[in-house]
Amino acid sequence: MFRPTSARVAIAVFGAAACMATLAAQQSVPPPLVTAQDLLSGLPSDGSRWLMFGGGYTNQRHSPLTQITPENVNRLVPQWVFQTDTAGRFETTPLLRDNVLYVTGPLNVAWAIDARTGRQIWQYKRELPPTGSLTACCGLVNRGFGVLGDRLFMTTLDAHLLSLNMKTGAVVWDTTLEDYSKGYASTIAPLVVKDKVIVGVAGGEYGIRGFIDAYDAKTGDRAWRFYTIPGPGEPGNDTWTGDSWQRGGAGVWVTGAYDPELNLLYYGIGNPGPDYHSESRTGDNLYSDSLVALDADTGRPRWHYQFTPHDLHDWDATEVPILADLTIAGQPRKVVMFANRNGFFYTLDRTNGKLIVGKPYVVTTWAKEIGTDGRPVILPGYVPDEKGSLTCPDPTGATNFWPASYDPAQHLFFVNAREVCATFYAWKQEYVPGERYTGGAGQRTNSPDNRAWGALRAIDPTTGERKWEFPYISPSTSGVLTTASGLAFTGDAEGNFLAIDSHTGKLLWHFQMGSALHGTSPITYMLDGRQQILVPSGTTLTAWGLSDIARVPSTR
Amino acid sequence: MRWIYFVLIVVVVAAANLIAQDVYLKIPADPPTKNPLEGDADAITAGMGAYRVRCADCHGMDARGIRGPDITQVWARGRTDAALFRSIRNGVPNTEMPAHPAPRTSDLDIWRILAYVKTISPATGTAPGSGNAASGEHVFATTCIACHRIGDRGGNLGPDLSRIGAARARAAMARQIRGTMGSFKTGYEPVTLTTPNGQEIRGVKKNEDLFSVQVMDTRERIQGYLREDMRSVSDEKKSAMPVFGPDTLSDAELDDLLSYLESLQGTTAAPSGAR
Repeated sequence: MFRPTSARVAIAVFGAAACMATLAAQQSVPPPLVTAQDLLSGLPSDGSRWLMFGGGYTNQRHSPLTQITPENVNRLVPQWVFQTDTAGRFETTPLLRDNVLYVTGPLNVAWAIDARTGRQIWQYKRELPPTGSLTACCGLVNRGFGVLGDRLFMTTLDAHLLSLNMKTGAVVWDTTLEDYSKGYASTIAPLVVKDKVIVGVAGGEYGIRGFIDAYDAKTGDRAWRFYTIPGPGEPGNDTWTGDSWQRGGAGVWVTGAYDPELNLLYYGIGNPGPDYHSESRTGDNLYSDSLVALDADTGRPRWHYQFTPHDLHDWDATEVPILADLTIAGQPRKVVMFANRNGFFYTLDRTNGKLIVGKPYVVTTWAKEIGTDGRPVILPGYVPDEKGSLTCPDPTGATNFWPASYDPAQHLFFVNAREVCATFYAWKQEYVPGERYTGGAGQRTNSPDNRAWGALRAIDPTTGERKWEFPYISPSTSGVLTTASGLAFTGDAEGNFLAIDSHTGKLLWHFQMGSALHGTSPITYMLDGRQQILVPSGTTLTAWGLSDIARVPSTR
Repeated sequence: MRWIYFVLIVVVVAAANLIAQDVYLKIPADPPTKNPLEGDADAITAGMGAYRVRCADCHGMDARGIRGPDITQVWARGRTDAALFRSIRNGVPNTEMPAHPAPRTSDLDIWRILAYVKTISPATGTAPGSGNAASGEHVFATTCIACHRIGDRGGNLGPDLSRIGAARARAAMARQIRGTMGSFKTGYEPVTLTTPNGQEIRGVKKNEDLFSVQVMDTRERIQGYLREDMRSVSDEKKSAMPVFGPDTLSDAELDDLLSYLESLQGTTAAPSGAR
C-alpha cells in the first residue's frame, strides 16, 4: 500500500488553489463531493446521478425517470458509441455523477467519459501479472466502481482493492486483499457504506477460503473481515469434514445490498469447493450458497439462510439480493428477494432470515420443494458421480450474476431465467494451490429433444407466481433495468437490446448491438433535459436518447 | 556525481528484475515430452470425467470419433505425448478443435485426459478399410458433389469435406451417410421459410435471432430474412442430407466411398478463407 504524504497533498492543494483562485471566482461551482447521504438516497427523481452497482442500496435497478415511455421508446436513437481498445467484454455497471461516467472494463482498465459526447477524459490501466497466472475462472472482467467523496474504488484481478482520484484516475491507495497466486481474484463492484468500502474475493473453483472485507475509504486500512467459511471453534465449522474448510471456496463476487435502518449488509455467497465431489466435504458447508446478513460496522453475522446445503452442482448464491417492503398476508414485511441459481425464487424476512416464499421459477428436478423449515426437500438420484447424472438446472443455473430488477409500484421482480439441464460428473481430485479444484464438471444438454432456452420472467414476490414471460431462442445472460414509466430494458444472447412493456411482457422495440449485454444491465439518467439509456455490450458503451426532445444544457 | 545515477539505475533495474522474476514464476515451462501422469490411477479417474465432459461430444464416449476423429489411434500412428498436449492446449487451426488455454484448463487437466485416453487406446492401430478409393472418388463425383466440396470442386450447401479423413472416424462417416446419426452440424440445420403468398424457401440455417434468420437456400443463395416478413419459419427435424440406404448405395460402394473420404486429409485443399 502507498499513499501520498499529507504534506505533499497540502502543497498541491494550496498551489492549485492559488493558481486557480481568480479563474474559479468567475466559474460555476462544482457540485459537492459524493456524500454518504447521496448514497443513502439512491436514484434521485431528477436523474442526476447513478452512484452504485444496483442504483441504490436496495439493488432494485428501478429508475424513477419517465421521459422515455412505452409509447415513445421506439424513437430512441443513439447519441454516441464509446469503444474500448482492450480485449474482453464489459460486465460493468457504469456510474454517473455531474455529467461524467465512471466505467470499469476488462483487464482492469477504467475510464472517465464525458456523458455528453462519449469522449474519454482519463484512462486508468493496471499493470497486471501475466494473464496466464491470473485465476479468475470465467473471464478477466470487472463489475464496476464504488464511489465516496472524490474517490473511486475498484477491485482487481490480482486481488487488490484500489482507490482512484475521480478527477485524474491516479491511484490514491492500493491494498492487497489476498495472494492471487493462491487462486484469489476480485471482480466485484465495491459497495460503499458510511466510511467503509465493502468487497469480496472470487476463487470458488480454486480452493480458496472466501471472505468479505471492509476497508476505510480514506486510508485503505482493513476495518473487518468476515470469513465465509467459519474457522475452528466458530459456529458452522463443524459443517465441513476434516480440514476441507481451509479450501472450501465460498467466494463473494456479486455486490450485496444494505439496509440502513437495520444496519445490515446482505451478501450472496458462492459455491463450496470442490464443486461437484460430495465425499471431499460432507456436511452442509456453511456459509457456501447462503445469504448472510452482517453488521455493517463490525462484519459480525446476524443471520444466514442457506439456499443449497451441501451443494454438488456449482450453484453459487452469487445473484443480486434485492430489498423491498411488501405487504404479505395483510402484514407489512421487510424482505430480501433472491432468484437463485438452484432454480428457486425466495422471499425472506430480512430482519431474521426466515423463509416467506420459496418456489421454483424454472424446471427444477433436484428438490421437491422448500420445506417449512427453510431447507430444500432433496430428491434421490441427483448426486454427480463418474457415470454422470442428469439434473436441472445446469451449473450456470436458473439465473446467475446478471442483475435482476424490482418495480416497487407493480410489486414485480424481473429476472432473465434459463431453462437448461446438464449431466453432472464428479471425481476425487487432489488440491494443488492455485490450480483449478472442481472435482468434476457439468455437461450442458442442448439437443433437439432437450433444447436450452430462456425467458425474461416477471415474478410476484409475495407468492412466487409468474405474471408473464418473454421467451428467447437461447438463454440470455443479461441484466434488467426497469423504469417508473413501465419499461424493462434488457438483452438477449444474440446481441439484441430490447425494450419490453413491464406490465405485459410485450416487446416494444429492439436494436441489434452486435454483442450481448452480458452480465449487466443498462443504466439510465438525465443529461441536459434528456433521459439517457446507457448500454454496455461487448467492447462498447452506447448512449441512447430521444432526439426529438429539446436539449436544455445544464448551465450550473 | 554522475556515477551515483548509474548506481541508482543498476539498483532499480536489479530490484525490478527480482519483482519480475517473482511474477513470472507462474509461467509454465514447455510441457514434458512424456505424460507425467500416465498410469496414475487417480489421474485416470479424473481424466475420464474430464474427457466425458469436455471431449466426448465430438470424439465419442469411447473416443472412437463422432464429429471429431477417432483418437484411440493417435499413439499407434506415432504421435507423441508432447504433440498431443500441444494439440489440446492450442487447438488445431482451421478445424473445430478449440484451444484450451490456462487457467481454465491447467497442465494437469490435459495430462489427466491423455492418461485416461491412453487406457482405452490399443497399442497397435486398427486395419484400414477394404474399399477402393479410386472407385470411391467416382461415387463421390456422381452422388455427393452437388452439395459437398473438396478443394475447389463441388457444392456449398453441405460441409466442406476437404479434410474429412482427418476429422471423422470411418464408422461415423458411415453412420452419417446411412442416415443413422441424428445431429446436424451448426450452420447446416435445415430450415423452411414460407412467404406470405405460400412460396417455400428451403435451405440451411447460417444464423438466427429473435427477429431474423440467415440462410443458404438450395440454390446456394445466401440471404437474411425478417421473421415478420414470413408467414412461418420452421426448423426441419430431418437433416438436409438425404439418407443413402443400401438400395441407393450398396455396401461395396459405401466401402469405396469411405476409403476415398478417409484419404482426404486436407493436404491438397484449396485455400479455405471463410468457413
